[in-house]
Amino acid sequence: MSADKSDKEDQKINWDAYLQAYYEKPASTKTWSGYDVKEIYTPEDRAAENYQANIADAGEYPFTRGLHRNMFRGRYWTRREVVGIGSPADTHERAAYCFENGGTGLNTIADVTYEMGLDADHPKAHNEVGLTGVNISHIKDMKTLVGDIPLDKVSWSLITASTAAAATMAQYVAVARNKGYDISKLHGSIQNDPIHFRYCGFSPACPLDLSIKLGSDVMEFCTKEMPKWYYTTVNMYDLREQGITAPQEIAYGFGIAMCYIDELIRRGLNIDIFAPRFTFYVSCHMDIFEEIAKIRAARRMWARLMKEKYGAKDPRSMHFRFAVHTAGCSLIPQQPLNNLVRIAYEALTAVLGGVQSLHCCSYDEPMCLPTEKGHLQALRTQQIIAYETGVTNVADPLGGSYYVESLTDKIEEEALRYMKEVDDIGGTEEAIRSEWLDSRFEQEALKRQKELDNLEKLVVGVNVFTTEPEKTTPLGVQRISGNSSKDQIEGVRKLKLSRDHKKLEAAIDRLRDDAAAGRNTIPAMIDATQAMATTGELLGTVREVFGYSYDPLNIIESPFK
Amino acid sequence: MSEEKIKVIISKVGLDGHDRGVKVVASLLREAGMEVVYLGMYQTPESIVKAALDEDADVIGVSYLSGEHLVFTPLIVAEMKKQGMDDVLFVAGGSFPPEDISTMKDMGIDEVFRGGSLAEVFVSYIRNNVGKKVAL
Repeated sequence: MSADKSDKEDQKINWDAYLQAYYEKPASTKTWSGYDVKEIYTPEDRAAENYQANIADAGEYPFTRGLHRNMFRGRYWTRREVVGIGSPADTHERAAYCFENGGTGLNTIADVTYEMGLDADHPKAHNEVGLTGVNISHIKDMKTLVGDIPLDKVSWSLITASTAAAATMAQYVAVARNKGYDISKLHGSIQNDPIHFRYCGFSPACPLDLSIKLGSDVMEFCTKEMPKWYYTTVNMYDLREQGITAPQEIAYGFGIAMCYIDELIRRGLNIDIFAPRFTFYVSCHMDIFEEIAKIRAARRMWARLMKEKYGAKDPRSMHFRFAVHTAGCSLIPQQPLNNLVRIAYEALTAVLGGVQSLHCCSYDEPMCLPTEKGHLQALRTQQIIAYETGVTNVADPLGGSYYVESLTDKIEEEALRYMKEVDDIGGTEEAIRSEWLDSRFEQEALKRQKELDNLEKLVVGVNVFTTEPEKTTPLGVQRISGNSSKDQIEGVRKLKLSRDHKKLEAAIDRLRDDAAAGRNTIPAMIDATQAMATTGELLGTVREVFGYSYDPLNIIESPFK
Repeated sequence: MSEEKIKVIISKVGLDGHDRGVKVVASLLREAGMEVVYLGMYQTPESIVKAALDEDADVIGVSYLSGEHLVFTPLIVAEMKKQGMDDVLFVAGGSFPPEDISTMKDMGIDEVFRGGSLAEVFVSYIRNNVGKKVAL
């Protein structure tokens, strides 16, 4: 199996090794998640099939085969590439580049400082502003990010996941209103899944009660004011990237989704009023059939959950609508061009699964932020699938495969078992509070590494067909200009000195009052944003009401008293 | 090395929240018989070096996955020098371009391990290099 070419002797062909390779068969016949599968599946495996109840045509409950009867014949998936780089102006420029090259949806992502709820001038932010996304400290930054993009025409996906999503929503709405748009006509989405983001290193910004409060405020606000907006993208993808398996991705993701749904119901909203705008972010990893089975199982399980547990009547409430992010953790830096192949398989998997919106990773992501060429290649990968492969012609082309249907059942059974396990320890909130979920992620991540170390899972370039790592990144390296962050830090400092403080303080007082009275905080955040309040000030004010330090990192204090 | 366990301080630095890898590495080094103290997230060059001094560590390992490697590497090296820490190995893991590896070594880092590294590679590097460092 080893193709290690480090030894000079090996440069002559070793014919014994050749013979061994010629007759080689797969070392493992398990799925990526570790399930044994049979060598062939036959009609006997599907003898007890109840097509109408369990599978049904695309567009029909339980939507196993897809949300829409004609799927891509009606409309392609949205081709979105995540963009977040340097300053708001840099990010705008790259997003425009993706549009010019055939991207059909905007997708901008917050950097670590913005997700933490810090302004660019925070003492812990200045080293890292713009390194992994974009920081929006105030309304002017959002105005720069938007630029000349017609908000009533494009579908914009705002990737802020933490409690800072409330600030993002307020900043977006404030800019849209200032530009004269009717916000009820805007369409797009915001990630707004602060609960999951504690597992991505943002726990100081995402205490559980505040995550549920602010996450649900955004959802409630959008339900009432922005009926075309998708107000959350529950991020199963980030959970999967922790190292968990396909059915665990469904189980833990659904658990978090239900925390928000339960809260919206507690607020008196009818399930059929809000559930039609609920969306998910899903991973597509390397095991093609297992991932397709996962997506099909998730659609069926979500439909049943919404109908049976929550009593939804509108079929749109039962739709598991999702975007896919191809699996970043499947990419490696050792043989970087091979990542293009991995991404293409994963993207094909997403499309065969009936995806609504797709982000293909850039091949260079294990090295740096996507370069322009990396972004373009990712977009072209989507376009080749859409225009050349013919896979868009027929809804759920793998439906009815003895194997795929059997594997769909298996993933559903396993995911239900994991959901039961969470229920048995007291539900998702308890699993979070007791750190049961943290330890589960850690165990699984360690298992994944040992599978590589023990050659149970093979990854070309990691533990098979290894070569000297390449010394350069084939299409160049993306760098972030230090001037971008300097200008942005200077910008927020200047803004803080030039504001109308009376107006600002009145707006902050109202925000504090609304938070304390249990009212929805988004309207006050929008007004405060228009009064030049910054991200850190909006969130810090609400944090204090909930008994947390103004600054998630506990370094600076509130300027308002 | 003597019979004493190799002691490793392992940490995130700055705001980067990608901690899957660093926790896996901590577990694997422990399984390899080393004593590991994982400091967690939001550490600073000062807090990392202080912990290494307090714990009398043989190795400092830092995880970089948010493009912050060229920012923090020189700051950590400067803090190590300031504290007279000239025999402690400084290694890093994470995501960074191959073009930056020699830059990081010029800045004073001893070795780097990117994603896709197998355990035996970094375990044996540490075993073979602890205590052999020439002064910075």
